[in-house]
Amino acid sequence: MLSATSVRSGLALPLASMRPAEKTIVVTFGGGARDEETFAEEGQENIPNLLEKLLPQGTFFPQVRNAGILGHYVATASIVTGVYERFNNFVAQPPPNPTLFEYFRRELRRPLDDAWVIAPSNGFQKIGCSSNSAFGARFGAGVILPKRLLNAARGSLPRQGDQLQYLLQDNYEMPEYEVKSSSQEREMHLDTLESTLRLSVDDFVKRARTVDSADELSLFITRRLMDQHAPSLMMLTLHDMDVAHSGAYSLYIDAIRRADRLCVELWQAVQTHPEYKDRTAVYFMPDFGRDADDDPAGNGFQHHRTGSDMARTTWLLAMGPHIRQNVVVERPIESIDLVPTIGKHLGFDTKTPGRYIEELR
Amino acid sequence: MKPDQLQPENFRDYSPVARAFTVQNLALLRRLPLSICPSFLVQISDLDTCFPRERILLQNQCAALEAMQPGELDSLLAPIRAITLPPDISAMNWVKAPELFVERLSEVLWSSGQINAFHQASRTLFAAIPDPADGKERLLLIALGRGADLSRRSLLKKLARRGLRLEALQTNTAAQQMIGVLRQRSERTKEDYGHWYIDGGEKWMAPAQQGKSSLIETSYTELAPLRDHLLQRMQDILQQKKSGAELMRSALASTGPSALDSDKLSSDPVLQRFYTELFTKGSGTQVFSTSFVQWSGRELTRRAKPSTLLLRYAPRQRYRSLNEMIEKPLADALDPESSLIDGEMGAFYNWIEMNWISAPGKLTTLVWAEGSQRAVLIGPGTQPNTISHQRVTVLEALAFAQGS
Repeated sequence: MLSATSVRSGLALPLASMRPAEKTIVVTFGGGARDEETFAEEGQENIPNLLEKLLPQGTFFPQVRNAGILGHYVATASIVTGVYERFNNFVAQPPPNPTLFEYFRRELRRPLDDAWVIAPSNGFQKIGCSSNSAFGARFGAGVILPKRLLNAARGSLPRQGDQLQYLLQDNYEMPEYEVKSSSQEREMHLDTLESTLRLSVDDFVKRARTVDSADELSLFITRRLMDQHAPSLMMLTLHDMDVAHSGAYSLYIDAIRRADRLCVELWQAVQTHPEYKDRTAVYFMPDFGRDADDDPAGNGFQHHRTGSDMARTTWLLAMGPHIRQNVVVERPIESIDLVPTIGKHLGFDTKTPGRYIEELR
Repeated sequence: MKPDQLQPENFRDYSPVARAFTVQNLALLRRLPLSICPSFLVQISDLDTCFPRERILLQNQCAALEAMQPGELDSLLAPIRAITLPPDISAMNWVKAPELFVERLSEVLWSSGQINAFHQASRTLFAAIPDPADGKERLLLIALGRGADLSRRSLLKKLARRGLRLEALQTNTAAQQMIGVLRQRSERTKEDYGHWYIDGGEKWMAPAQQGKSSLIETSYTELAPLRDHLLQRMQDILQQKKSGAELMRSALASTGPSALDSDKLSSDPVLQRFYTELFTKGSGTQVFSTSFVQWSGRELTRRAKPSTLLLRYAPRQRYRSLNEMIEKPLADALDPESSLIDGEMGAFYNWIEMNWISAPGKLTTLVWAEGSQRAVLIGPGTQPNTISHQRVTVLEALAFAQGS
């Protein structure tokens, strides 16, 4: 992990001169990345942008514990509800507890298009709102699954077909499957692509041809949303690195390096966008780690099945106008602490078990 | 049913070997909590197709638990007994289908937040069982990197930190000498399932003469018919688009050797099961030869505990979407550079795993970047993080590592 000398501290602006962020973007790595391949000394070569460009501008927590179920959908749902959810990871379903998006829209009376989730993985279409009767779809976030959009687009443009198949890659443990839609979700479908993003199906497919991975396509959609609706609350889930389940270390590392590049591209997009510049907090956090090399119960980086400390421990990098720069906080926090912290910054109480992260005050 | 209600007739559907084992250990099985008793039955029910070392280990574990003072065993089992299970899982027919119970148990433990407590309690229980000393001299030989650029300074860095980096290995005799050592050891010490050669592509050598050695050799190419069968099954599941990972994993795990015609590859039921499970229980082995080699090494180490293991990582197919790789594997569109990176990590894991089963100072490892003069040597005679530019053959290097 980072040494004391690797990060300068104390360059923070006086707190009094800061104002709370008005917009919030949460970026999760829904694939699990270990310290070994990221912030540990050996992994730092994979994340030059996070390390050299972003970390000096933010507050970094190297010990974030996820005490819940280590499956990507349920873990991401736990991050957005602030409660360790206990449902079956492999069945797409709305979380039972209210999401950050619902608190945000209900408590602040925000409009429909002010909260969005962009997630590449199949099964995430129900993450925008909970099944809680006091909240639910009427307060939920719009959900865009770019891979599902692209799959539908391929169907409508038969001759452009299979050359885009590589972008539809789901991880080895989550093959593509059909999820029943319901009225209790707010997934954006192909027929509203043009009206929502001002993007024709043809242009969307053309754009897809120019990117290398599903995560890049997700970033493109995120930027398009920023331009068209400038939502106040967004969550982007990067998922390429979950290819680790195939056992190919090279692909896992490639995906981490890509995520590193996309993180800085997103931050640069925020800082050059008139609606977002200097008024946006961005939180980068993998949902959890992966198994340790020397744990006989696992197979190293390939999976996250042991529940060991390495699989449960990840990190958080927070950036924004109210967040101190170039600070490393060694105190352990939990992944469910993010929701109450964002809630407090934005001005609503989330009534969740996580603790407010004082260092992000 | 609860474990303390077990009767010999409950096992009438088990194979004769498994049935005899359960009857012999019935008193112990009755004392185990429901959350671990089926795990024992999973192993017992497969006894007739397991490796000899697995059978010995299971016998030792049962004997050691049986021999414990009642107070000692009860106190070790208390944390496992404290795991609470929902009624539906308790009602399962866990004697007939213990593997289904174990699968469901895993879900329950995760969703109820008891997984770490269960792991800890299980570790404590098995740590209390004396490990029979195994003083075997083990040899791990690995070749990797064929077709890739092998010149980078950091090549094999994780292993090099633990041993001697060789920069002038004699290339033209390396493969021949590795095979020679393997054959020699398998002829000198005949041991059932004790000497192995697994290749990620076409094998390096002609098959050994029948009966002359106890060497078992196979390759990704040789196992292609079995793999093709399985890929077809995976394709069928993907086309249904009804469910995701769970259906895929359960369907693969329940696919037995006969369903994949594994008898056409070997007449030995132990090998039929081993080869089948490499693909039905491995992840990525079906599409990437590098994952196949790493997983084969891991499973052999865990199950057969071999004395000699030669693993050769070959270039895997180029990465495409999962569906494409399952529907149309490409043997001619290879990615040697990425395969080298996969192989380096795989070799590191193979070394860790062989270390787990070897007594201190009893493992010698040589990892060769195939076709180059570069290798890493780890053994009782080497020092961590050292380098040698001296010209050596594989045989000389191994003798040095073994301290002779």
